[in-house]
Amino acid sequence: MVNYIIRRVIQAIPQLFLISLILFVLMQAFGDPIASLGVRTPPRPEDRERLRRQLGLDQPVYIQYLVWLAGNDWMKIDMDGDGVGETPGRRLGILRGDLGNSLINKRLVTELITERLPNTLLLMVTVEIVIIIISLFLGVYSAIRQYTLFDNIVTGLSFIGFSIPIPLIALLFMYLFSVNFKEWGLPHLPTVGMFDPEVGRTPGQIALHMVLPVLSLSIISIAGYSRYVRSSMLEVLGLDYVRTARAKGLREMVVVMRHALRNATLPFVTLIGLDIPFLLAGAVVTESIFAWPGTGRLFITHLTQSDFPVLMGILMMTGIAVVIFQLITDIAYSFLDPRIRIE
Amino acid sequence: MKHNKLYLLLSLVVIASMTLAACGGVAATEPPAATEPAAPPATEPPAATEPAAPEFSGIAVVTFVQQPTTLSPLYAQQWFSTITTEFWLKSLWSFDPDNNPVPEIATEIPVPSEDGLTLTINLRDDVFWSDGEPVTANDFVFTYDMYMADSNIVGSRFPYEDYVESVEAPDDHTLVVNFTEPFAAWLVELFQYGVIPEHVLRPVFEADGTLDNAAWNTAPTVGVGPFVFSEWETDSHMIFEANPNWINPPKLEQVFIRMADDAAQEVAILAGDTDIGSFLDWSQADAINNSGVAQFVTQPSGYDEGWFLNFDPATAHPAMLEVNVRKAIVHATDRQKIVQDLLGGLTEVPVTFWDSTPPYGNPNLTPYAYDPEEANRLLDEAGWVDSNGDGTRDKEGTELVLRYIANQRQLRKDVQAVVQQMWAQVGIGVELVNYGDDYFNDYANGGPQATGQYDIAEYSSAGAFPDPEASYNWLCSDVVGADNPDGGNWQGYCNEELDALFNQQATETDPEARKELYYQIGEIMHNDVVWVGIWQDPDLWALSNRLQGVRFSGATPFWNAHEWTISE
Amino acid sequence: MTSTAIPKTTVRKGMAESEIENPWRLAWRRFRRHKAAVAALAGMFTILAYIWLGGLFFSRGLCEPTGKYLTSEAYANCNDLAKKLQPPSREHPFGTDTIGRDILARTIYGGQISLTIGIFAAIVEVVVGVLIGAVAGYFGGWIDDVLMRITEAMLIIPSLFLLLVLSKALGGRVPPIDVLGRTFSGSVIVIILVIGFTSWTYLARIVRANVLSLKQLDFISASRALGVSDARIIFRHLLPNTMAPIIVSSTLGVSAAILSESYVSFLGLGVQTPTASWGNMLDTAVKYVQTAPWLWFFPGLFILLTVLCINFIGDGLRDALDPRSTKHI
Repeated sequence: MVNYIIRRVIQAIPQLFLISLILFVLMQAFGDPIASLGVRTPPRPEDRERLRRQLGLDQPVYIQYLVWLAGNDWMKIDMDGDGVGETPGRRLGILRGDLGNSLINKRLVTELITERLPNTLLLMVTVEIVIIIISLFLGVYSAIRQYTLFDNIVTGLSFIGFSIPIPLIALLFMYLFSVNFKEWGLPHLPTVGMFDPEVGRTPGQIALHMVLPVLSLSIISIAGYSRYVRSSMLEVLGLDYVRTARAKGLREMVVVMRHALRNATLPFVTLIGLDIPFLLAGAVVTESIFAWPGTGRLFITHLTQSDFPVLMGILMMTGIAVVIFQLITDIAYSFLDPRIRIE
Repeated sequence: MKHNKLYLLLSLVVIASMTLAACGGVAATEPPAATEPAAPPATEPPAATEPAAPEFSGIAVVTFVQQPTTLSPLYAQQWFSTITTEFWLKSLWSFDPDNNPVPEIATEIPVPSEDGLTLTINLRDDVFWSDGEPVTANDFVFTYDMYMADSNIVGSRFPYEDYVESVEAPDDHTLVVNFTEPFAAWLVELFQYGVIPEHVLRPVFEADGTLDNAAWNTAPTVGVGPFVFSEWETDSHMIFEANPNWINPPKLEQVFIRMADDAAQEVAILAGDTDIGSFLDWSQADAINNSGVAQFVTQPSGYDEGWFLNFDPATAHPAMLEVNVRKAIVHATDRQKIVQDLLGGLTEVPVTFWDSTPPYGNPNLTPYAYDPEEANRLLDEAGWVDSNGDGTRDKEGTELVLRYIANQRQLRKDVQAVVQQMWAQVGIGVELVNYGDDYFNDYANGGPQATGQYDIAEYSSAGAFPDPEASYNWLCSDVVGADNPDGGNWQGYCNEELDALFNQQATETDPEARKELYYQIGEIMHNDVVWVGIWQDPDLWALSNRLQGVRFSGATPFWNAHEWTISE
Repeated sequence: MTSTAIPKTTVRKGMAESEIENPWRLAWRRFRRHKAAVAALAGMFTILAYIWLGGLFFSRGLCEPTGKYLTSEAYANCNDLAKKLQPPSREHPFGTDTIGRDILARTIYGGQISLTIGIFAAIVEVVVGVLIGAVAGYFGGWIDDVLMRITEAMLIIPSLFLLLVLSKALGGRVPPIDVLGRTFSGSVIVIILVIGFTSWTYLARIVRANVLSLKQLDFISASRALGVSDARIIFRHLLPNTMAPIIVSSTLGVSAAILSESYVSFLGLGVQTPTASWGNMLDTAVKYVQTAPWLWFFPGLFILLTVLCINFIGDGLRDALDPRSTKHI
C-alpha cells in the first residue's frame, strides 16, 4: 500500500511538471498583462517598459518559468533599468509554496485563492450532496421499477439534463424564479451575487443566493449520475447473491437497501471521488452567470487580463487536488471492496 | 453505515465552509487595533470643529461594476481605484464640474514661476491625517520618493520621471516642485491621486524595502478626506465612515461601495437600492430615467470614441494613405444615426480629439456630413472603382477591403456591424476583428495595433483630462518601429507641422496661448482626417433621487462628497 | 470511468459472409428497436434541414436601411437600428437583436457554424484519440508508457480550463478565412482544433484497451508472423474490429463539442463576431435576462435540441453496435 502511494506520487510529479510547463508556455502567447492594467487607457510606453522589467516579464520564457518554479532569491533583478541587476529577488517559487503575486493588483496569489476557495467549496459541496442524494434515489428507484412510466420519465429527463447547456438553464431559472416570480408578486429568488449588502453576509442570505446556482449545476450532473446508479443497480440486482437473498424471503426493501445498494454504489463512490476536483472547473460558467465570488470567476476575470501567476496558481491547485483525489479514491475503494487489492 | 458516515462528513464540511464563508471576510479585513483611528490622540484637531460635534446621517450606496485593484495612489491605475480617493485621500486640489481647480490641502492654486521651472505650493496648517498626525509637505516629498524608488513597482511615474527634477519641503507647510522644463499639465498631473502618510508607510518601506505588499494598500486605515476607510471585503463591499476632522466635515454618516456586475447594478438602481451607479451603458438610459427613482447623468471626462487610422505605408491598406479616401470613409458613415439610434441621442459627434476637453475643441469646425454621394464621388475620383463587378471597389488589382478592429465590448461590435452595412452601400468592404483588451493594446507580444495589423482601430481615448495632453499618439518621434519599439504612436502618423505644434503646447504655460495651439492642431487633424470621432464618450452615471448635492466632475467625480445628503 | 475491453463478435476476414447476416443490417435492426433514438434521428434530420435549407425559405426580406431585398446570409446580417430589440412578431418570429438583426435568420447561420464545429472537432478528436490509442496499445513498451503518461497528464487539468487557456492563447491571431464564398472568423478554426485536442483522451484509452485485447488473437499473431506491416495490421485489422466504440464516442463527441463551443463562446473566448454561432449568441444574454429573453432563449433551445438528438442517437448506436457495453452516458 505504502509502495503504491509512493509510486503514484512519483508518477504524478513529472506529469505536474509537464503540464505546468506546457501551460506556462501557452500563457506567454496571451496578451500583455500590463496592457490591460489601466482598464480605460493602456499605460504610457515608459511605464510599460519599466513595469515589464520590474515584474520580470522582459526575461526569456525559461527564466520566467524557473522563477515561477524556484523563485528568484538566488538572482539579482534590474529594478532601476541600467541593465545591471542590483536588487536581490524576493520570490520563493511554487516549489517553496510561493505562488507569486498577481500582476494586476499585486496581491499574493495564495491570498486571492484562499479568499475565494471557501465560496467555491460551499457551492460545490452543496451541489455534490444534492447530486448524491437525488441521483441515488432516482437511480435506485428507476432500477427497481425498470421500464415503468417513472423509469421512462426519469430516463427522458436525464437525457435532457445531460444535453442542456448551463447558460440556458441558468438564464431560464433566473428568468422564471427571479424576474417572473417578482412580476407575479410571488416570493422570488435573488439573481446574482452571494448576499444582499443591505442585509449583510448572513447564512440565510447566502443560502437564498445559493438556490439558483446549486439548482442549475445539480440538474446537469444528476442526469449522468442517476443513469450510472441505475445501470450498476440493474447489474447487481441480476446477480446470484441478490437472487439468493430474495429466495431466502427477505423483504424487497431489505434486499435492495442492504444487499444490492451497497455493492451498486461502490463504483459510484469512485466516480464521485474522481469528479470532485473537476467540479472546481464546472463552476466557471455558473459562477460567471450568477456572479458568485468563487475561484471559477477569479479564473475568468484574471484570464481576460492575462494575469498568469493567478491562473497558474488556480490550475496547479486544481491539478494537485485531482492527483490527491485519485489517490484517495483508489485507497478508499480498496477498503470498501475487499476484492480489490492494491499492489 | 459507511455511507451514513460519509454524508455526515460532507454535511459537516458544508456547515464549516458556510460559517467560514459567512464570517471569513469580515474577520480578515478588520483593521489592526494598533492603528484604530477611533479617537484622535495627542494632537488636538482645530477647535473650530470641536464645539458642535457634527452630526452625520444617512448612508450613500455607490455601486462599482468592477473591483478596485488597490487603494494606494502609487499603484492605482484602474479608474475605479483612483476615483475612490476623493472620499478618503484628498490631494492638493480637486476639480469641479466646470474643470476649475478647487483647493483642498493647498491653501490656494499656485502660479508657476516666470520661467515655468518652479512651483511653490502653500499647504494648509489645519489638515490632519485621520489618526491625528498633521499633513505636512514632507508627506508629499515622501510620496514623490516612493514613486521614484526603484524597488516599488508603481503604476506610473508620469510626470515625475519626465518633468520633475526635485520635490522639496523648505518648511512643514511649503512644498516646492522644480521642473526640468516648463510643464504645461502640472495642474492635473501633480499628486493627482493623493498623498501617502509618511509616518505610517516609512517604517514599512524601511522594513520590507518596498511598499508593494504594504497592508495599507488594501486597508488604508489612515487617510485624509471627508471619510475614513473602514473595511473592504473583496468582491463584496467597501465602507468609508464620516471623518469629523476633515476641514469640510461631511453630512453623511457612511459611504457604502457595493461591487456588482452590470446586470445586478441595473436591478439595484431600478429598485432604489443604490444611490450612485457607475460605468453604465447607453442602453440603460431609458429604463433608469423612467424608473422614477433615479436619473441617468452624463459628465464629460475627456473621452471620445473614435477611429485611430493606420498611416504606416508598410502595413496599412494603400487606400488609407489617400486623404480623399479617408474623407470618403467618413462621408459614408452616418455617425449621427449611430448616436441617435444606438446611444439614444444622448451625446454628440466630436470633430476633434479635444471636443470633450473644454475649451480645447475647435468650435469653428463642423463634422464631415453623412453624404454617400460625396463618398462615391471622392472614391471614383481617386480611382477606386468596382472594375470586376464583385460589389467592392478596387484599384490596380487591390480590393478596397479595410480591416476594422476593436475590443470585445458589445456596443463596439454593434457599431462595427452597422458601419459595415453603411460602407457596403458605397462599395467599401470591411473585415471585422475583435480582440481581448490585453491583446488589443499589447505592444510586447505583437498586438494588432503595435504591429499595424489594422486599418481602423476603434476605442475611446482621452488626454490627461482636464489637461489636453495626448500628443504621444501622433508625434513623429513616437512612431513605433524597429528602433523605437516602445513608441506610443501606433498610427505611424508623422506630420512636421503638427509635430511642431504639439511640442510647442507641451511647454506653453499660458492657457490662452495653449488653447489657440490646440485650435490649430484640431484643424490640421480634421483636414487631414487623422482621427475620426464617432461620439463624445462622457462618464455615464445613475443618481438616485434621494441622494442630494451630488455634482459629478470629469476629473474627480466625487470631489464634493462632503456636501452629499440623503433626503427621504 | 470503466473502459470496456470486449473482443468483437463481428465478422472476421476469411469467413464466408453469406453464412452470417450482414452486421450493419443487424445493427440497424437493433437501432430501430430504440424508439427514442429513431425519433432523435428524425429530429436531427429536421434540424439539419432547417440549418442547411432554412436559409432559402426563412432568411429573406427587405433590408430597410439599404433599400434592398436580401436573401440568405446577407439578410441574416442586415441590421436595422430602428427595429432593435423587438420581441417575436410575424415579421421576426424569434424577435430581433441589439442592432435589429433577425434572430431566426441568425440561428440558421449560427447553427451552421455550431454544427460544423461539432463535427470537425469530433473528427479531430477521433483522429488523435484513435491514433494515440492504437499506437500505444499495439506497440506497447515505452511508447505505451509515454503516451499513456501524456494522456494522464492531460486528465489532471479539467478540460474546460484547458479549453479556455488554449482558446485564449491561440484565439484572435488567426485571420478571417474564406470558404465557399463565405467569410468566417478565424476563431472557428481555432475552436475546432482546441476542442478536438482537449477531448481525445477518453477515446484513446478505449481504443488502447481494445487493441490490447485484440492483438492477442490468433489472426493478428498470424499476420505479424507473415510479415504484414504494422500500419496495415493497425488500419486493416485492429481498427475495423474496434469500430463500435469509435462510432459511438465520435457521435457523442459531436454533442460534447457543441456544448463546449457554447461554454467557451459564452465566456467570450470562442467564435468571434460577426460570425454567429449558437454559443456566441448567448454571450451577452445575461444583460437581457429580463428585458429581451428572446435573445438567449432561441439559440439556447437549438443547442439543447441538437445535443439531445445526438445523445439519443449515440445511445441508440451503442445499443446497436456494442450491445454488451454497460456504460451509459
